[in-house]
This record gives sequence, C-alpha cells and structure tokens, in this order.
Amino acid sequence: MRGMKTTALGISLALTTLLMFSGCGSKKTDSQDNSSGFPRSKTLYLGGSQWGDPNSFNPLADSPAWPVNDKFNVMYEPLLAYNTQSGQFEPILGRLVSQNSDSVVVILNPAAKWSDGKPVTSVDVKFIFELGRRYKSAPTTYALDFISEIKVSQVDEAGVKAEQLTFVVNKAGRNNPLVVMDLLQGIRIVPSHVFEPKLAAIADQSQALSDIQKLKIDSVPVVSGPYTLISYSNEKIVLKRRDDYWGNAALHAGKMPKPEFIIHPIFKSNDHFSIALQKGDLDASQTFIPRIWLKAKEGVKTWYAKEPYFVPGAIPMIFLNNTKYPMTDRNFRRAMGFALDYKAIKELAVSGYSPDIKPGIIMSMGVESKYYNDEDAKKFGTTFDAAQAKKILTAAGYKSILKADGSLDSMVDAKGKRVPTLYIKCPAGWSDWEAIVKITVKSFRNAGIDVREGFVDAGLYWQSLPTGDWDLILHKPASSVSPSLPWSRFEAVMSSRNWAKVGEKMNENQGRYNQPGSKNFNPKVDSLLKVIPTISDTAALKTAYRELNVIFMEDQPVLPLCYLPEQFYQFSDKTWTNWPTETNPYAPPQLPWVGAGIKTLWNLELAK
Amino acid sequence: MKLLMNLLKSPSFLLGAGLFFLTILFAVVGPLVYHIDLNTTAGSYLPPDSQFRLGTDNLGRDVIAMLISGLRSSLYVGFLAGTIATVVGTFLGVYAGFKGGWIDDIINLVTNLFLVIPTFVVLILISSSLKDGRSLTLIGLIIGMTTWTWSARAVRAQSASLKSRDHIALARINGAGTFTILVKHILPYIASYVFMVFILQVASGILSEASISMIGLGPYETVSLGTILNDAMRNEALGDGVWWAFMPATAIITMIVFALYVINTSMEGVFNPRLRK
Amino acid sequence: MFKNNPTLRYISHRAAWYFLTFLVAVTINFFLPRLGTANPVDIIMGKVGTGLDTEAAKDKEESYLKEFGLVEVNDQGELLRDEAGKPVKTSNIKQFGRYLVMCFQGDLGTSFLNYPKKVTEIIKDALPWTLALQIPTIIFGWIVGNLLGALAAYRRGVFDRIFFPVALAISSIPFFAFGMLLVYVFAINLGWFPAMGGYAGDLIPSFSLTFFKSAAYFYVLPFLSIFLILAGGQAIGMRSMGIYELGTDYIKCAKWFGIKENKVLMYLFRNAMLPQLTGLALSLGSMIGGALITEMIFSYPGLGMAILTAVQGNDYPLIQGCTLLVTVSVLIANFTVDILIGFLDPRVRAGNQMGGK
Repeated sequence: MRGMKTTALGISLALTTLLMFSGCGSKKTDSQDNSSGFPRSKTLYLGGSQWGDPNSFNPLADSPAWPVNDKFNVMYEPLLAYNTQSGQFEPILGRLVSQNSDSVVVILNPAAKWSDGKPVTSVDVKFIFELGRRYKSAPTTYALDFISEIKVSQVDEAGVKAEQLTFVVNKAGRNNPLVVMDLLQGIRIVPSHVFEPKLAAIADQSQALSDIQKLKIDSVPVVSGPYTLISYSNEKIVLKRRDDYWGNAALHAGKMPKPEFIIHPIFKSNDHFSIALQKGDLDASQTFIPRIWLKAKEGVKTWYAKEPYFVPGAIPMIFLNNTKYPMTDRNFRRAMGFALDYKAIKELAVSGYSPDIKPGIIMSMGVESKYYNDEDAKKFGTTFDAAQAKKILTAAGYKSILKADGSLDSMVDAKGKRVPTLYIKCPAGWSDWEAIVKITVKSFRNAGIDVREGFVDAGLYWQSLPTGDWDLILHKPASSVSPSLPWSRFEAVMSSRNWAKVGEKMNENQGRYNQPGSKNFNPKVDSLLKVIPTISDTAALKTAYRELNVIFMEDQPVLPLCYLPEQFYQFSDKTWTNWPTETNPYAPPQLPWVGAGIKTLWNLELAK
Repeated sequence: MKLLMNLLKSPSFLLGAGLFFLTILFAVVGPLVYHIDLNTTAGSYLPPDSQFRLGTDNLGRDVIAMLISGLRSSLYVGFLAGTIATVVGTFLGVYAGFKGGWIDDIINLVTNLFLVIPTFVVLILISSSLKDGRSLTLIGLIIGMTTWTWSARAVRAQSASLKSRDHIALARINGAGTFTILVKHILPYIASYVFMVFILQVASGILSEASISMIGLGPYETVSLGTILNDAMRNEALGDGVWWAFMPATAIITMIVFALYVINTSMEGVFNPRLRK
Repeated sequence: MFKNNPTLRYISHRAAWYFLTFLVAVTINFFLPRLGTANPVDIIMGKVGTGLDTEAAKDKEESYLKEFGLVEVNDQGELLRDEAGKPVKTSNIKQFGRYLVMCFQGDLGTSFLNYPKKVTEIIKDALPWTLALQIPTIIFGWIVGNLLGALAAYRRGVFDRIFFPVALAISSIPFFAFGMLLVYVFAINLGWFPAMGGYAGDLIPSFSLTFFKSAAYFYVLPFLSIFLILAGGQAIGMRSMGIYELGTDYIKCAKWFGIKENKVLMYLFRNAMLPQLTGLALSLGSMIGGALITEMIFSYPGLGMAILTAVQGNDYPLIQGCTLLVTVSVLIANFTVDILIGFLDPRVRAGNQMGGK
C-alpha cells in the first residue's frame, strides 16, 4: 500500500513539475516554431553585454536592454561609426564630408531604409537630435548644448538625390566640435514615423515622452540595422538577420552577414560566460576573464596573442579628494603617485591585461599616442619608486611612524599633528577592483602612507562618488573610447566648470581639484579645456595637450592605475573563424555588435 | 556529572569532540606555529609545492594562511550567532511554552515575523548605515537574531510538555512566581536539551555565515571560509581546475559541521537512553 | 457548533493570528528597505548618468525621482521644492498609503532597476522556475530521506552503522559547496552534465518534447545538489525519531500484544512523522530564499538572483513584491503545519495544546 501511495505521489509530482516548466514563458515576437533550436552553423552566440532580465527594447528609454543600448549598432544605427584603431569615421547611415570648428557635414545615404520600407530621412535625424527641445527629459537633451541647429540641403550623390546635413556647432553653448563627433557616432537614429504618432496620441503632452518610454517596443520593431529582435526571455535574447537590410547592397557590396541568428545567453556570473566560451557554446564575450592564456588551448583568443592581450581604451584611477587634508598638499599627492606598485597592479589585479602605464593621462599607444610626449613623462611624471615617495614626504615634513614589526602605524605632519587615516572607497563585489584596491593599500603602506580599504555596497558607492564624500575613491572616467579622447578624459578629471562644494553633486572632477577662487587656482586648466576642442591645427593641438598633461603631472589630482581595454574582446574560433586580430586587423578590436566592429559580421567564416 | 561520565564513554562523542577540538586547535594554535603572512604576493593561483603546501590564491596569498584566518573568523561568527540564537530562542521558547495562552500567541507571531523577514535585507540595510560596514560581529549578530526561531520552537515544545508535571504544580501551590519556576524547575530539566540546541545553532551559524559570504554579502576586509569560496567562484577557480582554491575550505567547513552533528547525536544518545543500543 | 467543535475553534484561532502576522510583516517589509541611507535613484544614475555633465545629470535624476513617486509634485506635475531648491521627498507614510491602494488593485508597482518592467511581470516570469526546481527537490528529498531514516531505525545493524555516518557527513556539506563540487567533477572534468543554464542555449521554452528533455537534462545537477543533502538531513532526523519511538512503551506493548508488524510500524511512523512534517512545511515555506545560491552557481533561471540584485540596488517595489511572496508562502506553510498537527495530534484536539517534540 505504501508502494501505491508513493507511486501516486511520484506521478502527481512529475505532473506538477511539468506544469511548472510550462509556466516558464518567453516572448515570441513572431510566429516561429523554434522548438527545434537554432542550427549551430547558422548562429553566433555572444555574451557579456546583458546582465539581468531584459526590461525594454525601446530606443528612447534611458537604459534599455541589449542591443538597443549603448553603442550596439545591430538594430538601430548611428550616422557614423568610429574606428578606434584608425581614428577614422566609417559610414553607416551617413558619410562624413567635412568637419571643422564651425560645423560637421554629413551626407545621408539615400539607400538607407527602415524595415517597413520607408526611407531614413533627415526628419528622423532631426527627431532624435532635437527631441530635447520638445521634452526636457529626453535621453538626448544634452545634445542641444553642443549642436545649435541641423541644416538640411539637397545634393547629388553619384546621380542620386541625397540629403546633406550640416550640424552647426553651438558656439553660444558648449562650443565643442569634439563632442559633436561623439554624438554623431553615439546617437542612434530612430524611426520618427513610428514614434511621432505615439507621442501625439497622448493627451497630456508634458507626460508624453515618459509614457512612450514605458513601451517595450519588442514586437516586430521598425529598425534600420542588419538584425532585428525575434524573441527574448530571462535567459536569452535572439536576433535574426534581415535579408532586406539596405546596407548589404550599399555598404557591403551585396554580401550578407554570415550568421543568420545572433543569440545572447544571459548568465548570472562571469565564470559561466568563460566556461561557455571554452566549451565552444559561446563565440565571443565581453566579460573579464582572468588568466586568459590558460584558455588558449580551448580556442579562446584575443586581439594580441601575447600580453597585453587586449587593446587599452580606458584608465581606472584613484580619485583623490583634493579638498581634504593632507591631499590638499600637492607634494603628498605626488608622493602617492610614486608609492604605487603599478607592475603588481597590472600582474595580479588585471591578469596582465594592461601595457605598462606611463605617467599622465594621455595614452602612449593607439590613436592618442600622437599627443603623448615621452620626455615630459620622464621629467614630470610619477612612476613606481617607493624611495622617491619617502623622500618627497620627508622633504614636505611628513614622518611615518612604524610599529615594532616594521609595519606602518601612522603619519604625522611637519607640525607634529597626526595625519588622519585615509580610506579608499570601492564597491564590494567587483573582483578586479577589489584586487586593485588591496594592492594599492599595500603599496601605500609600504611607502609609509596611512591608507586603508573602505569597501562599501555598490549603492553607497554610486551615491557618494558625485558628492565628494570620501578620501580616495576608485573610478574609471571616460570609460568608452570616443572621438573626443583624450580631451574628455582631461575634462572628467580636471574641469572646474560645474564646481559644487563637497556634499553637492559634481559629475566630473569629483575630487574637486582646482577650486575656483582658491589660492592655488590655475585658470589655465579650464581655459585649455575650453579651447582644445576648437583647435583644428594639429601642431597647436599637440602643444595644447602637452601643456595640459604637464599641468596634470605636476599637480597629480588623481592617480592613474593601469590601462584597461574599453571592452574585453575575446572570442572562440571553434565554430566561427576569421575574427579581426592584430595580425588580421580588418576591423577594430570591438565586439561585432559595437561601433565599427560590426564589419566582423560580414567577414566571419565557419570553421572547417 | 554522571551524564558527563556517560558522554565520555560514548565512542561517537569522543569522535565528534575530538574532531572539533582538532579544528579549534588548528585555529587557535595555527597562527603561533605557522607563520601567517597575508601580504606575500607570490604568483596568482600557484599549484601546491614545497613552499606553499596548498598553493596560492588569486592574489598570490598562501592558501594555508588564508584557511587558518578564515577558520578563526568562521568559528567566531558561528559561536556568536549560535549563542545569541540559543539565548534568545530559549528565553522566548521557555516563556511561551510555560505560559501558553495569548502570551504564547504573541511570541508565536513574533517568531513568524522573524521567519518572514529575509536575512540579507536586514544585513545590507544595517551594514550600509554603519561606518564599519559589515564586520564579523555584525554578521554574527544578524545571523543570531534571524535564526533563533528554530530554537524557540524546539524549546517551547519541551517547556510546554513539562508544565503539566507534578513538581511544577507543587511549586505553584507553594506560591513560586513564574520566573522562579522557569529558572529553578524548568530550565534544569531542559538544560541538556538546550545544550544540544546550542550545538546545532552553532553549526547552523557557521553554515549561514558561509552562505552569506558566498553570495558576496560577507565581511569586507576579513577573511572567512565563505569569502574564500566566494573568491574562488568569482575568479573562475572552478572552470580552471584550481581545486586548492575551494576544496580545502569546503572540507574544513564540512568537518566542523560534521563534528558538531556527531557531538549532538552522541549527546542525544546519552541524554535519552532509549536512543542508545 | 463553533463552541462545541474544538478543532474548528483551534483553526480559526490560529488563522486570526496568522492574518495579524501577515499585516505586520507587510508593514515591516515596506519600511525596512527605506530605512537605509542609499537612494535607489543614485544607483540608476551610476548606470545612466556617466556621460552627462552636472546640469543634465540633475535633470535626469529629478525626472526619475518623480517617476518613482519619491518626491512631491504639484498639480502641473512639477517638483515641489524647499528653500534650498531641492525637491521635497515624499514621506514614507504617504508612500505606504499609495502602495496599499495599488496592491488592492493588483498592481505591485514598477521595478526601479528593471524600469519599466512591472513587478508582477518579473515575478510571473521567474517564479515558475524557482518552484520547478525547489518543490520537487524538497518533496523527493523529504520522502526518500524519511524512508531511508525509518529503514535505518528499524533495521539497525550493519546497514545503520554504515548509513548513519555517511548520511551525517553528507548533510554537513554546505549545499552550495556541494553544488560547486558537482559542477567541478561532473560538468567540467567529466563533462557528463552541463555546468549552467536551465535548458539548452539554442532552445526557446515551448510545449515540445525537445524542450522538456533539455530542461530535464539541465535539471539533474542542481537537483542533486539540493536533494542529496536534504535527504541526508531528513534521514538523520527520522532515524532519531524512529529509534526513540521504537523504545517507547506503547510500541513494546503493541508488540507483546501480538499486533501485526505492519500495523505497529504504521503507529510508529505516524507519530514520528509529526516533527518531520513541520520540517517539510518550513522548508517549502522558505524555498524562495533558499533558491538564491543554487541559481547563482548554475545560472539557473528563477527569482533568487532577482531578489539579491533588488536588495543591493534598493529596488523598493521589487523587494516588496518578493518579500510579500516569501511572507505569504512562509505563513501559509506554517499555518498548514498547525492545521495538520491539529488533525494528526489528538492531544491538540483535546485542549488547544501544541504537541509533538
């Protein structure tokens, strides 16, 4: 009898389980029976760009899911793509004709079409760029500070009528042609004929945009790009190739992208992407994978075959609170710069993924290298030299008091007053950042500087970063590679333009360097920052950058730590080959759905 | 006293207590005998060799040193949490079981409330308001304050079954107050039971700390066995076959908990003769 | 009839108290996350506002505050400001009032971090997976564990001597570490099972055999990681219970009276089951929280990770929605246990006294 009961229980449990699995739904946006799966030879699996459940695919929303956010150009496209290797602008919806400090001229490709057959026109471009004029909370409102108007004229492109767009630099506003280029490669064009009627239908116009931003736009969206969304769930996002994509004929000589489907699985931790990559279930991933050289035998490759494996793009830094004693003292800050063991940071915290860092905040390689000056770096910069750090500290009157076992107890200044222990604020849980902080604390203490870790929850970190409520904080300004580098990095680190005191919010120069009205205020910093974007003469530009970088090195408002890539571009050649690498650089080291890396999709081949 | 003698005669008790004593030894004496240097940064994830008997972790630190430090932290949290949980749970359980009625109902309500509030909400909340953030003490406190419900239930049942005994009635006739009865007439009878509850709470405290640290809500700067496992997971020790990053820590946790469970079972056998045979 | 039926009185008495507990719990779960200092909008700004300069960032932040109902607005929808020009924050009491009203309309709010997804939608998508993993695992683990434990108690001898320490050792392993070990041995080294996911990467959930087969294949390791340890723990408990009951007078009496062995066993297990049932109900009640680590290790779809990220990001509506779920399930589980004990334990019926050990 017990046997029967158990059997009955077992059957009902099995049924319940089946029922529950059936409750696990997914959204299909067209009637396609995919229960047979997607053939491996027709599918590209990419990962690392979507964390958490996909919330919305609305290009007007503030933070939609992949691939509608950031610089992912497979569904919605920008006018231009920026090639981070060559520094050139490659055509997508438009073609760059000319750029100077007054305006940027782009010709819209007359072949550009939306997936519902309507052409992409200047009306669409003006819609998204000028949306901020009609709705203050639009995601592109800031564009108005930089572009005062968009003039449209008709021209003749090889016998076909095309629209020429002149983006006039807003001289009364920010007067920054560099950022205008940022915008042209960053802002994606959306179909105005889809959104205008939706906006007009809302009775309360002040709420109109917020209401439209709540729509998911996940069902047969009107796009201009080579792929479109067909299905998604909490576990994956599936895109399908559009065989009638206008760019196949106009930009790629009639070829189609090789993968018919692109699938982005959504895993819950980094190591799962890594495992999938090694097994060949994932073709490319944007996640941080430590010790990548161990995975090479599983077919996992990177841009460079050896160190540093990745092309540097951003500089994580320790921001110093320049208003807080003793970091008000320039000598103290420079001593800190000499104290850091940059090699240990590179080797242990970021698995060697960084070339050796050079002083200053202009990168010594890549597109920025033409502004980098090695002599200045040697003369003014700080490099790892613990002895030099101690020398500077002693000369400035600081004394380090050691404990019996030789470890640091505390510091006193010239007047004998104890220097307060300084804490580095860092979000707990980001493993490479945590490692960086641990190593920097060790370096500081070895040089006699009393610093300790101050890990906090991510929420507190984001809250205190703009308010300056910290001693030291880890931050990566200007984290994406854009045409306005290296200017935007200087602006993010040194600008006093939007000065606010500690406790209020600043979104750049959170360390409050160079306080206006203070004794040490150097007006040259802000004036250089203002004028550099408008300089078109290369020689004058080099001089200006050089001057700014020297001021940086002499004042050391922040401590650059290492170079990190903009994205961790790593791929598996088990299923797809012919990825761009150092030896095969037909596209920049960007994942094939970012910026100019999109070319990869047309060049991938199946492995034999 | 007789109980203690019986305990010592039981082979399983000796096994459990022996194992546990061994781990305590490792934790307390370890630092004196083995040079703990959490600052050496040799290569990352070096395999075991003559210098580092169990290899290094992702930042190049000696795994054995990490294990000893971690063990001390985990034991500390486990005992702190276990003590708090047992004290609070026993107090509330005994009172509720003895009094019955609406006092019992209210305490039941409070018990259910604590059951319902998720531990990590409280943990994150409190840790983000404190300057020191998540310290071992705070974690121990919070685990203790959220796991006493089990001991409250267990002790309550015991206390309730005791209250109808004759000696209680006698005490009441003699005019003894509630508190006196609880302390002099009930607690001694359930003392052995409470001790077993304590052992289980400590074991549960150690496991809880490990899981909390594993998901990343552990102490910021101190090493515990849970943070070792968390580091291993996040630095892909699993995928790379770096077994020394997580196997030893798992083994140690299992051993401690196993030892505690064995002690508990042997005590059950001694205190409850019907279980022996 | 009410007065004369002690069982009914008992049930309604307990039901009233549980309802009261529910109300208090909902209130606490609402105010608890808001007592922290971190502001959910700051975290969103960290994601969204990195490229913006200070002015634009301020505007964006205020629009979020308004959208989430965290600040006061006047009739035209503009933010009310105090003398310093800062927006006036809505009091927690007011927010609670609005929340209650929305709940009665079935709207649990919109998630902050997954904006604009609604909380009900997030829960609806993720919950079935959590339930599918936890419910069968817990129930099977309970059944198998108790059967084995009962067997060990009854047979003793060699079987018990081997089985008991093994079960004890297995139940000492923290189950997440066990999951990691399973992944390491069976998925990475031996490659017999997949290391992560709920189903194959190239499938979409549907009512097809392919999908169910795939889901079952991916189910094995997560299932085992919880099941084995749970069964071990249950076996130990049941064994102790069984041994204890076997030594009681009434069992001895029954044997001496010559009552058939099966019937004796029935009496025995019926009594030994009581505390085990309590354990089962409690496990089922707390399964939503318990799923978290398994989901993390196996990248298994479910509600667990959603709760963790919600708590870390101060996503009030999602936290409230999930804690509401946990509250309801735990309370219902406990209530069921009380009722079951009311039916199975005659001592209770005799006078509203909780029995069991």
